[in-house]
Amino acid sequence: MHRLAGFTGLPAQIAKIIFMAIADAALVAMFFASLSKHGGLLTIVIAIIFIVTNIVYFSPRTVPLKFLLPGLILLITFVVVPVAYTIQMSAFNYRTGNEISQPEAFKQIMSQGLQPDAANTSFDFLVGRVDGKLVGLITNQADHTSAIATESGVTPLAPADVKIIDGRVVGASGFTALTPDEAANLDSTISNLKFPDGHGAYISPQGDSAILLTQTYLYDKKKGTITDTLSGEVFKDNGVGNFANTKDSHQLLQPGWKAFNTFANYTHLFTDPVVRGPFIGVFVWTTIFAFTTVIMMFSVGLLLAIVLNQKLRFRRFYRSILILPYAIPSFMSILIWGGMFNRQYGAINGLFHTHIDWFNNPWLAKATILIVNLWLGFPYFYLVSSGALQAIPAELEEAASIDGAKTSTILRLIKLPLLLQILSPLLISSFAFNFNNFNIVYLLTGGGPTDVLHGKTAGATDILITYTYKTAFGSAEQNLGLACAISVIIFFIIGSISMWSLKRSKVLEQI
Amino acid sequence: MQTSTSKKSAVLSHAFIWVLIVFTIFPIYVVIESSFNPTGSLASSSFWPSSFSWKNYKMLFTDPAVPFTTWLMNSGIIATANALFSVFIGAGSAFAFSRMRFKGRKLGLQSLLLVQVFPSFLALAAIYVMMEKVYTVFPAIGLGSLGGLLLIYLGGAMGVNIWLLRGYIDTIPLELDEAARIDGASTFQVYWLIFFPLAAPVLAVTALLSFIGTFNEFVLASLFLTDVHHRTVAVGLQSFIGAQFGQNWGPFAAGSLIAAVPLVIIFLSLQRFIIGGLTAGATKG
Repeated sequence: MHRLAGFTGLPAQIAKIIFMAIADAALVAMFFASLSKHGGLLTIVIAIIFIVTNIVYFSPRTVPLKFLLPGLILLITFVVVPVAYTIQMSAFNYRTGNEISQPEAFKQIMSQGLQPDAANTSFDFLVGRVDGKLVGLITNQADHTSAIATESGVTPLAPADVKIIDGRVVGASGFTALTPDEAANLDSTISNLKFPDGHGAYISPQGDSAILLTQTYLYDKKKGTITDTLSGEVFKDNGVGNFANTKDSHQLLQPGWKAFNTFANYTHLFTDPVVRGPFIGVFVWTTIFAFTTVIMMFSVGLLLAIVLNQKLRFRRFYRSILILPYAIPSFMSILIWGGMFNRQYGAINGLFHTHIDWFNNPWLAKATILIVNLWLGFPYFYLVSSGALQAIPAELEEAASIDGAKTSTILRLIKLPLLLQILSPLLISSFAFNFNNFNIVYLLTGGGPTDVLHGKTAGATDILITYTYKTAFGSAEQNLGLACAISVIIFFIIGSISMWSLKRSKVLEQI
Repeated sequence: MQTSTSKKSAVLSHAFIWVLIVFTIFPIYVVIESSFNPTGSLASSSFWPSSFSWKNYKMLFTDPAVPFTTWLMNSGIIATANALFSVFIGAGSAFAFSRMRFKGRKLGLQSLLLVQVFPSFLALAAIYVMMEKVYTVFPAIGLGSLGGLLLIYLGGAMGVNIWLLRGYIDTIPLELDEAARIDGASTFQVYWLIFFPLAAPVLAVTALLSFIGTFNEFVLASLFLTDVHHRTVAVGLQSFIGAQFGQNWGPFAAGSLIAAVPLVIIFLSLQRFIIGGLTAGATKG
């Protein structure tokens, strides 16, 4: 009782209040920082975390939640939310060229429609401030009238208000020109300035002159079309994130926007020949790879467990060497094997005096992946099989041998079936793990060789997860929407396998 | 007859073991040999050792273009932080699931079991876009930062850790809790004074498994850490030899050995405990 007393009462209360004060201060600071920087959803998430944390830790009734909450917040924010976001993103046309919101894309398109007017009106331009705001002092090069151009319009100046030196306007009353230093600092801001002239056109600075830009794109709100008044071509929202030429649907106005397209990414995977071919190829190899590699690792590991289960000399010595691959960080082993399979310089070709180009032949590349993964994985299966072998009651073996069964028969008819039963959950989870074994593929072959499937991104040894990675972050084109659709398919496959496995093992009912 | 078969099987057993031993040792031998080979490039590495030098090791610690010590530190920091925090936070949740009865407990455990089968990198595109957004508001925990990567790792580790720890806590007899409660202990006291000391060994093993897992993680780290000084060993070494495979082979081999040796020693000395943790459901390889 005395030992317990130290952690209760006032000290504990004070500790709790100090801890919560720090957490609350941090959360409040983050909330306002996020609010001021237009964090959007992020701001809401912080607010929710703040409210929930305070309710849970200051209410006397929420004892289980006090223990659960930190883990729950992490799990929801960084696992559940990304999964939900993946599903949401998979329903959008979200790729290189279609990355921004529709209003933003519309704004950018319309600004491309701004072209110098037919008369090529140009001005001398001087940037300065009136009442602190950035304005332009413009002088028409044709008729030499001057005006102040602001964000709200153009105010003509009487000739008397303008200061002229050497025939060039250098100032006006009420107008403070920027110093060269100031102007240099604001360079990008200045070149982006567009002053409306009040007649639908804009005055746009080009260094120390300015030109008059008129809008050549005509937006028809009712029809939802943009007409290029110069060429007469009409562009219409094609429903998947672009304004497309009504005569030639491949001619698009850039940029496009992230458009909601429900299942289009999924239907592409199964119907669009450009995407379907590589996707099916990758899918088949992923399944074959995961199956084959688990069977190989398990067979070697199990055989080793059986062999080392006998009374052999140096058993401990063998054992400590043979589990080394499991102890070495796997990414390193993979990179090392990659060097050893190198055609020109690798140790393997060096040892056998061959010149095999392991990574350029799809079959050999697949073989190297299986060999290296066997090296990485057989110790794990040795360890678990040998544990399982020892867990089989000795009475079974004794009873069988009294009945006259040979050692090999006991192994085949009694031990193996039992072993498979014990280890099947591990075999299934190993299958699921290898189904997504990014490292072995990406670090060993990079998914290559690539010239086999003619897909833009998929190589002969790519599995679904490396294919997803390349689809989302490839160098040629990035298609986040499609990548998310593939992720969702992987979720589905892995989820089904796991559910099936859990149902089998009856874990769910024991909870 | 009997003796000849058992002799034959003993010979076969030894043959099998030795084939596997050669297979196992081959790359390890190559790495050790390459790391001490002064020419440093893959091209001139020969199978049989020719000469010996520490040149590759020196290069790792002196060449400013290869911040190897920084990478090692980054990996150490992020793996340690993830191991400690994920176990500490996970233990609380596991304790609640194991010892308390509340509404939604069963559903919570079932969802947890399902969530923990998905590695967090499956949602990599979403994580990337999310953290890109976070970066614009909080650069310290957004894309490109170790802090942001740690948060993602912590989230991903929760499912497995809570599940593993709950399984262990279930085996600690309830009588201990009850005795403490009769003495007037609150739930928090039971947690700190009864459960925590008892669970210390399994917490350590879970932390160690998290550490090794984080040390090995490549996908998210390579996506996140683009700045050369923020990289972990995995990303750093990969980009290092990825750039010039033949040229940097020797220093790479040396770096691999430096990073691997502590882990191998930890693993071999604690293998008895780690293997227990493995069979409980964690997998690798």
